[in-house]
Amino acid sequence: MTPKGLRWLLVPLLVVPLGWLLFTGFGRDPREVASPLIGKPAPDWKLTTLDGEALSSADLAGRPYVLNFWASWCIPACVDEHPVLASAHEGHGDELLIVGVLYQDAPADAETFLARYGDAGYPHVIDDGGRLAIEYGVTGPPETFFVDADGIVRDKQFGPLTDELMADRLGEILGAASR
Amino acid sequence: MSRWIAPAAAVALLAAVSVAVVVAAQAPEPTSAERADAIARELRCPDCQGLSVADSPTLSAAEIRRQIDEQLAAGASPDEVRAHFVARYGEWILLAPSSPLPWAVPFAVVIFAAAGLLAWLARRRSSQPAAAPPSDEVRRRLHEEAEALDA
Repeated sequence: MTPKGLRWLLVPLLVVPLGWLLFTGFGRDPREVASPLIGKPAPDWKLTTLDGEALSSADLAGRPYVLNFWASWCIPACVDEHPVLASAHEGHGDELLIVGVLYQDAPADAETFLARYGDAGYPHVIDDGGRLAIEYGVTGPPETFFVDADGIVRDKQFGPLTDELMADRLGEILGAASR
Repeated sequence: MSRWIAPAAAVALLAAVSVAVVVAAQAPEPTSAERADAIARELRCPDCQGLSVADSPTLSAAEIRRQIDEQLAAGASPDEVRAHFVARYGEWILLAPSSPLPWAVPFAVVIFAAAGLLAWLARRRSSQPAAAPPSDEVRRRLHEEAEALDA
């Protein structure tokens, strides 16, 4: 090809990557960033549950657990994923712990939510001042973190969980327990 | 003209440096609240749309501001405070990129575009054939057509 012919290649070479960048960039939620916590030890915490009992990360040590940041005002996403968490809790029994973390929510409102949409029985802790949310780099509910039996954060779900996503993410932490 | 550029640039640089030194010497040492404010302005409020921690009244912003104060009081440097939040949220939490590379992109684009334009102009000028004087045939036709217009 002559150099003159090559010049016409310049146009698609510039336009195609730029177009791709804009097309994919605008379709993404800018908050959906990979968590720097993945592969690192999960932050420690000691909080009070909705039932008024003390619960800490140390109590969960040695077992894989799922930390689900949610709020009663997070509609419809938290309502949509609620049955997914409930069925995971029922389906896995003692080999998996699920802990809900109230994200900027009043305990009374959270109780109302659980009364309306069903309380699966796993504990929910009250994150006063949103300190734990900041430790986990949460930008808004729902966000869910998957911690393995060694206390290492293995995955994060940004936005509502579905049964498929839950099974996929759980594979990473339940697999670690049986290794 | 080019022999003026280097001395002029040197004078301008010297003037800028001396102004910066004088301004820096006169500025009072920032208080811890001012230092915390400066960091808060650089951090993104996690549950806002494009607001800094300093500009936001949300619970998260207030808690981050409290942690900035706490860490500065404990003797952490501003870089250490920023790193604390980057370790949790990633670079996303910083309103401006910490790498110098993105800042260079617009300058690089302008320089490349200018270089391309100059190269194109230079080529066009050199490749244009010198205007030849009109031939007798053209002169005759021009004359005829001008007369036809007059008629």
